[in-house]
Amino acid sequence: MSLYSIAWKYIWGRLLASALTALSVALGVSLILATFLLTRGIRASFIVGATDYSLLVGAKSNPTQLVLGTIFRMDVATPNMPYSVYEQLHDDVRVERAVPVALGDAYQGFRYVGTTIDYFAAAPWRRKTFAVAVGRLWDETPPEQPTYEALLGAEVAQRTGLRLGDAFYEGEEMAEYPLTVVGILRPTYSADDRTIFFSLASFWGMNEVARNAAVKPLTTVLVRPKRLSDLPNLHREFNVNPETQAVLPSAVLLTIFNLLSVAEEVLRFVLEAVVLVVLLYLFVALYSAMLERRREIATMRALGARRLTVLLIVLLEACFIALLGGLAGLVGGHGMAALGAHLLSQRGGLALAPFTVSALQPLLLAGVTLLGGCAGLLPAVLAYRTEVAENLAPLS
Amino acid sequence: MEQTPPVVLLQAVQKSFPLHQGRDLQVLDIPQLAISVGSYTVVQGPSGSGKTTLLNLIAGITMPTSGHIRVSGTDMTSLPEPQRDRFRAAYIGYIFQTFNLLAPFTAVENVMLAMLFAQTIPKREQRQRAVEILSRLGLSTRLAHRPAQLSRGEQQRVAIARALANDPPVLLADEPCASLDAATAQVVLMALHAMCRESHKTVLIVAHDTAALEGADQVLEMRDINRVTGRPDGVDRV
Repeated sequence: MSLYSIAWKYIWGRLLASALTALSVALGVSLILATFLLTRGIRASFIVGATDYSLLVGAKSNPTQLVLGTIFRMDVATPNMPYSVYEQLHDDVRVERAVPVALGDAYQGFRYVGTTIDYFAAAPWRRKTFAVAVGRLWDETPPEQPTYEALLGAEVAQRTGLRLGDAFYEGEEMAEYPLTVVGILRPTYSADDRTIFFSLASFWGMNEVARNAAVKPLTTVLVRPKRLSDLPNLHREFNVNPETQAVLPSAVLLTIFNLLSVAEEVLRFVLEAVVLVVLLYLFVALYSAMLERRREIATMRALGARRLTVLLIVLLEACFIALLGGLAGLVGGHGMAALGAHLLSQRGGLALAPFTVSALQPLLLAGVTLLGGCAGLLPAVLAYRTEVAENLAPLS
Repeated sequence: MEQTPPVVLLQAVQKSFPLHQGRDLQVLDIPQLAISVGSYTVVQGPSGSGKTTLLNLIAGITMPTSGHIRVSGTDMTSLPEPQRDRFRAAYIGYIFQTFNLLAPFTAVENVMLAMLFAQTIPKREQRQRAVEILSRLGLSTRLAHRPAQLSRGEQQRVAIARALANDPPVLLADEPCASLDAATAQVVLMALHAMCRESHKTVLIVAHDTAALEGADQVLEMRDINRVTGRPDGVDRV
């Protein structure tokens, strides 16, 4: 027997009450952890997705819509611009890399993106890396010879069950132009996991208007200048152009983050209220337990337990409950974050890692245990001050 | 022949409880009380005469308003509270009227608790010793039972085992048979008597039951609320 086992026995002796108290702690911890993981994940996901390319060039429209649509596959696609914009950027000596992107329809909710294989090319400045898990990239062909070869993002393959060699299409009108799976990408933990890629030739071939148009349409060009100092000029030139706009993803990111900060602040207040309520609940639970247990505490004291001993038992009990609640909360928090990440991925095109483990989890656990101890302090003092003779008197 | 010093000695002990408006209610006034080693003493008296207070004073649970209380040669009144707690755990076994077993713990654990608080018995021996004492009291099949799973008689025997856990020289029993039927009360009294005789323990028992008087070395009668007096029938006068 030890003080730990005494505290544990008391928790076990009031199983339902202890479980409910631990559950309230778990809910609080879950909310805090899930909120933290999601907000941090959203920020990280935006940063990873939006900072590889310094400039996005598209048709005149809402700049945020251009960034969200092109990079995160959110929102509706912006209007098209001529393919010649890409050619102009591709030939520009100030540009290190220009990648054309054409946003199309979707298959089972997974967006079609027509692009070139440059989209997947590695570069020292890229945060994101692509690797083909099985199969290969499509063969680049001239616009008049589309191959309709598709490269699937990891999640697309997983969710649709499509495998190499499978042909697929959505809608009877597309039956004439089925896509064939030639490769599946490794997970990138970004919106690309939820995307079906193919060549621009295939993209135009599948689109009735584009198929016959002399000027091929394009949604966006991703641009990486050779020197950062060229960025302002490029930005200005394509904004002055009446057909195009140039957007700095980092500026849009800042706007998004500002909006997020407001939401985070509101969430912080809510979480602070939750923590306060949980602590109060823990305190009330322990306090009422102490009131019920005065006779037992008096008995312990009569058996020779010192005041400090009974104080420690109550504190340990509070810490145990908080620790158990904290552990359950960590599991619940990751679960909530996984659910949130799933929703964000489905509706928002953001790919989050809800099971990321960092110093946060042990810190949260230590913090909640410490706060549990603080909530148990007053009940512990009540136990400490229990009058032995008074509480040993036979019950009438 | 050299006389053995008393194991419990009360000298000029007074106990008062504060009332309203600065007044005190004096419940005990004991000029002198000596309990000799290995004796079996029965304390009797009407309700409110201070019997439980007397036991609490000897156990060091309550401090006297004035006077000195010595147990096994140690002046309890001069000990700081933490040492008094430790001393009580090691030197005094206390048996309560309502048993006061701790509900979440099994019979063995209830006995081990007393050893944990006293810290006089090595940890690795505590369980073994608790099992032995409980077995001696006929509870070998009830070791893993919680108080709620035991009969009242069994609960009281667990309480006795707990009081004996640290092998204390003094056993205090506050109406240990009050909640028991006559037959079970007889078993409990016999167990206490046997402890006194076989283990040479000093037993001080508060009891209303005349059966408790059987074999008593001395009987203390608390006649009224303010003082303790002995009976004039040849037992003791204090």
